[in-house]
Amino acid sequence: MKKLTLNSILISLALVLSFVERFIPLNLLVPIPGLKLGLANIVTMFALFYLDIPSAITITILRCVLASLIFGGMSSLIYSLSGAFFALVVMIMLKLGYEKAFSLVGISMGGAAAHNSGQIVAASLMMKNMAVFAYLPVLLITGLVTGIFTAIIAMNLFFVFEKNKRVKY
Amino acid sequence: MIKEEPLLRLKLMYGDYIVFLVIVLVAALLAAAIYQNNADEKIAIISQNNIVLERIELNKVSEPYSINYYGEYPGTIQVDNGKIRFLSAECPDQVCVNTGWIDKPGQIAVCLPAGVIIKIEGVQTDVDIIVK
Repeated sequence: MKKLTLNSILISLALVLSFVERFIPLNLLVPIPGLKLGLANIVTMFALFYLDIPSAITITILRCVLASLIFGGMSSLIYSLSGAFFALVVMIMLKLGYEKAFSLVGISMGGAAAHNSGQIVAASLMMKNMAVFAYLPVLLITGLVTGIFTAIIAMNLFFVFEKNKRVKY
Repeated sequence: MIKEEPLLRLKLMYGDYIVFLVIVLVAALLAAAIYQNNADEKIAIISQNNIVLERIELNKVSEPYSINYYGEYPGTIQVDNGKIRFLSAECPDQVCVNTGWIDKPGQIAVCLPAGVIIKIEGVQTDVDIIVK
């Protein structure tokens, strides 16, 4: 029961984050469809590290579905789900090397790159046109920047969390 | 005594650098494969939901003109000598219009909501001299 509550809170937090980042006009800086900060990934990483893999998957999928229902659309659901799926797979794999080879930065960068690749694959399948792959090199590089940005936030969040470990789950 | 804490913590490990380098390498290889700069002719291909609407030889455009496309989110594309752009669109995100002019082979401008893609293809004439 406690887990259900915690997961629900995390889903709503992720929803708020994906809503807030819509107001950050990254698209004016680099006008590419699908470019975003990926703040909601902080929640996914939190679930991945402090809860379990099923929770992380549930939270991510429900966040994508709800975000698309509220302010996206059908096509944005397909893009974000396929991006989220690729990102989760890569992050779960990279997590195996956490604190051995990778810090959160590596995991987050890998997740961002996987997310962008997933989006482009979905877009090219949806539009039946390979031309959208021209965006991938740019998205991979911007993904590095946003991945490092969200990793720094997550790293400090995790640190504060470890320091005040009052909550038990 | 109060220990001063850093404002932001950032701890990197060797694997992070590997991930970084691999992504940069993949991006560079993809970019090299997609953007060809040594093309002689530039052809803009406008397609909507994978149906080609127009093929324009951009180098042969003398007067700027515009092309309309229709559907759920209609818009206007402007063609000029050597370049092309989304002039206006009724899509919600306006990413296509913000893309601005594109003028290099391999470049694309996309309006995802409308399903419209403008792609510039380079045509290389591999012939050096034609002897008649």
